[in-house]
Amino acid sequence: MNQFIFETRQKTIFGIMMLIGLISLLITFMGDDQWHTRFWSNVLHNSVFFTGIALMALFMIAAKITAWAGWYTVFKRLWESFSLFLIPGFVLMTIIAIGIWAGWHHLYQWADKAVVASDPVLTGKSSFLNKNWYTFGGMIIMGGWIFFALKLRGLSLDQDTNGDTNFTQAHKMRVWAAPTLPFIGFSSAAMIWLWVMSVDAHWYSTLYAWWTSVSLMVSMIALTIIILITLKIRGYFPLVTIEHLHDLGKYLFAFSIFWTYMWFSQFMLIWYGNIPEETIYFNIRLHHYPVIFYINIVCNFAIPFIVLLRNDTKRKYGTLMFISCLLVFTHWINFFLMLKPGILQTAHPDVYNVPGFNIPGFLEIGTFVGFLGLFFYFVFSRLEKASLVPRRDPYLMESASHHT
Amino acid sequence: MKHPEKNVIFGLYDDEEILKSAVIKANEDHLRIMDVYTPFAVHGLDPLLDLKESRIHIGGFVYGLTGTLTAFLGMTWIHTRDWPQIYGGKPYWAILSFVPITFELTVLFASIGMVVTFYIINGQGPGVMNPILHPSITDDKFCIAFETGGLENSEVDKLRNFFNNTGASLVETKTI
Repeated sequence: MNQFIFETRQKTIFGIMMLIGLISLLITFMGDDQWHTRFWSNVLHNSVFFTGIALMALFMIAAKITAWAGWYTVFKRLWESFSLFLIPGFVLMTIIAIGIWAGWHHLYQWADKAVVASDPVLTGKSSFLNKNWYTFGGMIIMGGWIFFALKLRGLSLDQDTNGDTNFTQAHKMRVWAAPTLPFIGFSSAAMIWLWVMSVDAHWYSTLYAWWTSVSLMVSMIALTIIILITLKIRGYFPLVTIEHLHDLGKYLFAFSIFWTYMWFSQFMLIWYGNIPEETIYFNIRLHHYPVIFYINIVCNFAIPFIVLLRNDTKRKYGTLMFISCLLVFTHWINFFLMLKPGILQTAHPDVYNVPGFNIPGFLEIGTFVGFLGLFFYFVFSRLEKASLVPRRDPYLMESASHHT
Repeated sequence: MKHPEKNVIFGLYDDEEILKSAVIKANEDHLRIMDVYTPFAVHGLDPLLDLKESRIHIGGFVYGLTGTLTAFLGMTWIHTRDWPQIYGGKPYWAILSFVPITFELTVLFASIGMVVTFYIINGQGPGVMNPILHPSITDDKFCIAFETGGLENSEVDKLRNFFNNTGASLVETKTI
């Protein structure tokens, strides 16, 4: 089957998921403090998570094109659809940015003029950590991402109808993919500092952007595996074989290890240096969030390491599906652990036991389900817009006979 | 390691696709292939030759575990029993600072152990000369070899016919 059909039943399921999300957000909004901190932190958490996943899909496509890689071609429409989620992501992040100007929320300490004026550290950082960078810098950078995503998607769709033996579109894609890589490389770090790291406005870590990007990369690969297996069982993607899933499983394994490497490098240096303004970050997280702190390490490192170490677990739907579902959820928890403690300390200094900030509650999970529904709905509706198999792609044969 | 001498008939093929179809033909005719030699790893050849999965990675796991334990237990003994010292105000048994070295020794033990195992299994090593059937196997030709020791002339002719029918560019006999 070359043409994906977005069935009404799937639309209903994703609709219900989005409804659960909306209701969760509404309930969160009702019983909240004066800045609606829980509501806004949930919106920020999920918006960053899914926008980042879309960005990583774009990065992966660009990296594959630049490396002359062919094996991913049979399912590249999936990553293209992922990357287009940058457009809803742009809207979501812009809403949060407008919230800073309008004073709807109090997520970021640096957004408060009075605090910045009396705080030498924040004054020193104010040339980067300010509303203008957050809003307009963010819009320009995300605009650039969307531009590259649309460019690569457009060329890929054009190839389906007008592809020729001179491989015009493939050559153009190479031209556009090359600048995409450094652009994402540098700009993603800036956006992660603004969106995620600056919730702890006084603290910084040079590793942070890579660590976060790898977390998003693992989630992206895991979502790819989940959707591929689900659609394969329904009869789509006949050309995607267990060999492609095996390679995706290797990615999942490798990036999980890389995530741990980053996590540990950051943790050990701060532990060893033992400087109070640096250790405060892990001090809060270790002593007030012990459960999710250890869940984070065990589920993002130990379980994928043990399960995916063997050859045959990467070649079975069951184990791949289990580990992918687990990793999407636990990397979402990783983001929870990055964002919530900092936001809580900004809104209510020295307060720790607040519902929805210690551990993900029903409302947080409901919001996650809602955003997941939105993501799936968007991706599936993009999948429907084009043929699932890129018919005239020069790498199609190489990909179809892929063998690990 | 000294190999016993073997009488061999072999054919060279120009392309890996011709080689693969020849191997399929040999399987159909129930000819016992001694070995296939290729200048690079040919995808899809292993199941045709009925080769079992290598067990060297099990060795790798064991060597790696040995490295992990050596490093971790070694540092534990040194830092708590043999020569306890305080570095940077940390406790004697500072597990976190052991992790990088434990990781390094795991990788070192696993890699060296696997290389040595591989060399021993294959009878390789410094100064060992291994006979080769034809020099172009290491360049651009693909080779199928049959053992002819103890075969009658009619059976050897059958093998010769097989090579000619499947498009071998060169057929030779050799004692290695």
